Amino acid sequence: MSIETSDLNKISEKKDFLVNSASLKDVRSFSREVFDKLKLNPDLKEELVLAIAEAAQNIVKHAYKDVSTTTDRMVVRISCNEKLLEISFFDKGKPVEKEKIKHRAIDDIKPGGLGTFFIQQIMDSIVFKDGEDPWINNLVLTKKL
Amino acid sequence: MTYKVQDEVLPHGNVTTVYLDGEIDMDKTEEAKEAIFPHIDAGKEVHLNLSQVQYMDSSGISVLIESHQKAIEKGTKMIVKDVSKSVLKVIMMAKLEQILNLE
Repeated sequence: MSIETSDLNKISEKKDFLVNSASLKDVRSFSREVFDKLKLNPDLKEELVLAIAEAAQNIVKHAYKDVSTTTDRMVVRISCNEKLLEISFFDKGKPVEKEKIKHRAIDDIKPGGLGTFFIQQIMDSIVFKDGEDPWINNLVLTKKL
Repeated sequence: MTYKVQDEVLPHGNVTTVYLDGEIDMDKTEEAKEAIFPHIDAGKEVHLNLSQVQYMDSSGISVLIESHQKAIEKGTKMIVKDVSKSVLKVIMMAKLEQILNLE
């Protein structure tokens, strides 16, 4: 884990993870550690952990679709400043086709398509950016705490 | 994730209870399906006990939906029991509390 800044009101920590589904539990552990430092209430903490895990899962599932194994790593950075939480994801997978990103209709009950819906429910904003070299994708989630 | 299976004889018939444990995410969905689906495929009424599941993401929710739909197809039912608070929040976020048979 790399700590960039850390105090009660201002924190920025990042960690890289191998891009695969087995890393998702490590992404959650890292997120919980950072949120514990921010002393977030348990319910909010678990909602944010879910949003982060869903975003990381989307990298594994979509940016690396049809890639069975990879040594690529993804980075999750959690920053908080002046009660604005910003969570950034960096990956080197396929470029995100922003126009194709949508969750399924919530009343169309079928498996799949809920991850993006959960992220939208939990976070205030979701912005997909082109990643700066060496990254391909940079997803930024924000929430006012 | 771990699980155990218990067959019970209840007044209305035989029931298979599947107790899941731990965290259910994309990495664990196949294990969860392997724990649940054979009993539904056999036409049994399945009770899925989630009291020891502390975390479930959209992949886990998909397993619940798929199991529920498979049970209907097979002419039986799946009842989701003793859902932990954290998992119930996710089920409610997915607006599935009226769809799944929760007890």
